[in-house]
Amino acid sequence: MERNKGRKVVCAMSGGVDSSVAAALLKKEGFDVVGVFMKFWSDEDHSAKDCDYNRCCSPESERRAREVASILEIPFYVLNFKNEFKKRVVDYFLKTYKKGSTPNPCVVCNKEIKFGMLLEKAIKLQADFIATGHYARIKRKKNEVSLLRSQDRNKDQSYFLWTLSQKQLEKVLFPIGNYLRSEVEKMAEKLKLPFEGVKKSQEVCFVPKTLEEFLSKYLKNKAGEIVDRKGKTVGRHSGLWFYTLGQRKRIGLSGGPYYAIDKDFRRNRLIVSSNEKDLLREELVFTEVNWISGKEPDLPLEVKAKIRYRSQSASAVINKDQKHKVYSLRFKVAQRAVTPGQSVVFYKGEELLGGGIIL
Amino acid sequence: MKKIYFDYAATSPVDPRVIKAMLPYFSEKFGNPMSLHGFGQEAKLALEKSRKEIADFIGAEIKEIIFTGSATESNNSVLKGLAQANKEKGRHIIISQIEHPCVRESAKWLEKQGYQITRLPVDKYGLLNPRDLENAIKKDTILVSLIHASNEIGTIQPVKELGAACRQKGVLFHTDAVQSFGKIPIDVNKMNIDLLSASSHKIYGPKGVACLYIRKGIKIEPLLHGGGQESGLRSSTSNVPGIVGFAEAVRIAKKDMKKENLRLFRLSQKLIKGLLKIEGSHLNGHPQKKLPNINNFWFDFIEGESLVMQLDLEGIAASTGSACSSVTLEPSHVLMALGLKHQEAHGSLRISLGRWSKESEINYLIRVLPQIVENLRKISPFKTSFKFD
Repeated sequence: MERNKGRKVVCAMSGGVDSSVAAALLKKEGFDVVGVFMKFWSDEDHSAKDCDYNRCCSPESERRAREVASILEIPFYVLNFKNEFKKRVVDYFLKTYKKGSTPNPCVVCNKEIKFGMLLEKAIKLQADFIATGHYARIKRKKNEVSLLRSQDRNKDQSYFLWTLSQKQLEKVLFPIGNYLRSEVEKMAEKLKLPFEGVKKSQEVCFVPKTLEEFLSKYLKNKAGEIVDRKGKTVGRHSGLWFYTLGQRKRIGLSGGPYYAIDKDFRRNRLIVSSNEKDLLREELVFTEVNWISGKEPDLPLEVKAKIRYRSQSASAVINKDQKHKVYSLRFKVAQRAVTPGQSVVFYKGEELLGGGIIL
Repeated sequence: MKKIYFDYAATSPVDPRVIKAMLPYFSEKFGNPMSLHGFGQEAKLALEKSRKEIADFIGAEIKEIIFTGSATESNNSVLKGLAQANKEKGRHIIISQIEHPCVRESAKWLEKQGYQITRLPVDKYGLLNPRDLENAIKKDTILVSLIHASNEIGTIQPVKELGAACRQKGVLFHTDAVQSFGKIPIDVNKMNIDLLSASSHKIYGPKGVACLYIRKGIKIEPLLHGGGQESGLRSSTSNVPGIVGFAEAVRIAKKDMKKENLRLFRLSQKLIKGLLKIEGSHLNGHPQKKLPNINNFWFDFIEGESLVMQLDLEGIAASTGSACSSVTLEPSHVLMALGLKHQEAHGSLRISLGRWSKESEINYLIRVLPQIVENLRKISPFKTSFKFD
C-alpha cells in the first residue's frame, strides 16, 4: 500500500461491475485514483420514442459510474470522445464492412480511444498509470512488460488487446486480471456498489438494435446472387454485408442447411455450401502485425492462435514470406470460418505475443 | 485538501443572510399569494416587497418586473414572446455573435419559424459597435437583444449607446444582464433599456428564480398560460421563498456594490498580472471595459479541459468558459467571435471571482498554475503530436 502512495491512476469507469471493482481495488492498494467516464458516439435519435444510447455510455451507466466514484470518494470526470470515436472506430467499422470484411471495433477502440486518447489525457493529468476493467494481466520484467491471459479463462479479454505497444503497456494496470469474475462480483457486493439488474455489455456498443438495421442505414445495400461452390446460382441475397462466414441461419434457401462459406465482393456473390467441411481452412494470411514485445520473434514460430474472441486457441505455426512481407499461419487442425477483418492473436503459454488482421 | 472556488460566473453559493430571509417562507408563511385569506396576504406582501426591492434597484416601476424560473426562461420569453406579439409588424431580430446559448438557440428556433436573424460581430475585445447596430436595423426590425456583460470574457457592452441607437430608430431593446446585474450599476432609464433579464443564483441568491423587466406599454405573448400570475405574463404559483431570497440578495448586492467592486477589481488585477507572467499567456476580452470578477485567459499549446481537470485535482475549481458548454468539446463561440483560432479558443481558462474570494487564493493560483501549464505543454498534442505507432 505504502509504495503506491502519491502514485496517480486514471481509471476508466463505465459504470459496470468490472471497472467499478477495478477502481475500488486501486483505491485499496493506496493509489490516488481519478475516475473518468468516456462518452462515445452512438446512433441515437433523441426525437425517437425509444431513444437508444451507446450501451457503453448511456446516461444510466454514467449515473452509476458517478455514484460509484462518490462511494469510493475519488474525483470523477466525464470525457467526451464522441467525435474521435465516430472518426476512428465507427468509420473504420463501416469502412471494413464496405470492403467486405468483418471488423473488430473493440480492438480499434482499445487502440485508438482507451489506450490512445485516454492515455494521452491521463499523461496530461500527470497520471502514472491508466487502469481499465479488462480481464487480462500484466507482468513487468526488467526491460519489458508482457501481457498475459486473465486468471478467469472464461472472461479473458487479452484477445482485444493485441495492438498494445510497450510504450502503452508501461502505463497500464488491469486491477481485476488476477481475479475470477465471480470474485469480482462478490467484491462489488461487499463494497455495496449499486449493481442490481445491470445488464452485461456484449454486442457492438454503438449499434442500437440489429447490425442489419445499422448497416442498411449507413451502407447501400446491393442485392445479388447466391451461388454454390461450382458457381451455379441457387438464390438471391439482399446485401453481402449481412452475412458472416459460417452462418447457417437466414440464408433463405430451401433444401439446406446451407452455410455461407465465402463472399465474392467483386461480383457481389455469396457462396454457399451444404457441406460444413467447406468452411474449414488450414491456413490463413494476416497483416498489420503487432508484437507486444516490440520485436519480431524468430520465425517460423510455433504458437497457440485464436481467430475470434469466442474460440479456443489452436496450435499453429507462424511464417513470413520475406519477399512480400506477408505473414501466414498454418494450423495443425483446420479451423472453421476463418473470417477476414477479424483479429488473429498468438499465445505462448500464458503470454500474448501479438496479433494481426486476417486478410 | 483545501478547496478554492473560482467559478462564480457559473453559479454562486447562497449567502447565509439570504437563507435566513427565505426560511420563514417555507413552512411558516407558506401561503399562495393568489389566496384571499391571511396566509395568502402574508405571502403576497412578501412577493410585492421583493418586487419593489428589485424594481428600485434598476430604476424600474414595480409593475415592470415579472418573476420567472430562470434567466433562460426570461430570455426565451423576450425573444419568442415579442416575436409572437409583433409578427404583423415585422420579422427581423438582431442579436450578437456572443450571446448566451439561451438567446442564440431561441433566435435559431425563430429563424426556423421564418424570422430573419442578424448576428452582429464584435471586435477583438468582444465589443459591439453601436454604428454596426444602426446599420443593421431595418424597417421590419422588431427587437434588438444584446448581452450586457459577456459570461465568458466579462466584456461590458456600451449598452447606453446601443439602447440609444434602438430608441432613435424606434426598435425595442433587450439586454441579457445575467452577469452584470448586481455587479455594476444598472439604470434602465438612463441606459435606454426596454427589457432586461437577470438571475438570482449569480448574485448569492437561490437557483430557480429570475426576473424580467418589461417597460410598461410593451406587449409580449406569455410562454406559460394558466392562473394569470405576474400580470398574466407568467402563470405559475409564485416561488415565494425563492423570490424573497432573490430580493434579499439584491439588497445585499446594492449595499455592498461599490466596496465589493473595488475589492474584486484589485484581486483581478493581481491575478491578471500574475498569470500574464506565464510565457505564452494572454488575456481574453477587454482589459478595462470588463466586469471586475470575470477573467478569461488563454495559454499557447494548452487544452482548456485538461487544465481545468488538473486544477480541480489541485483543489481549484475553474472553467474553460461557460458551464453550459463544458459538456461539448466545441470551442467557445464567444472566443471564436473575437477572432481566436480553433486551438487558441480551446486553450481558454475562466477565473471568476466572488464574495468569498480571498487574496490568499489568488496567490495560491499564481503559485501553482505556471507548473501545471508547463507540465501540460510538455505533452501538448498541439505542439508535438503524442502518437503511438
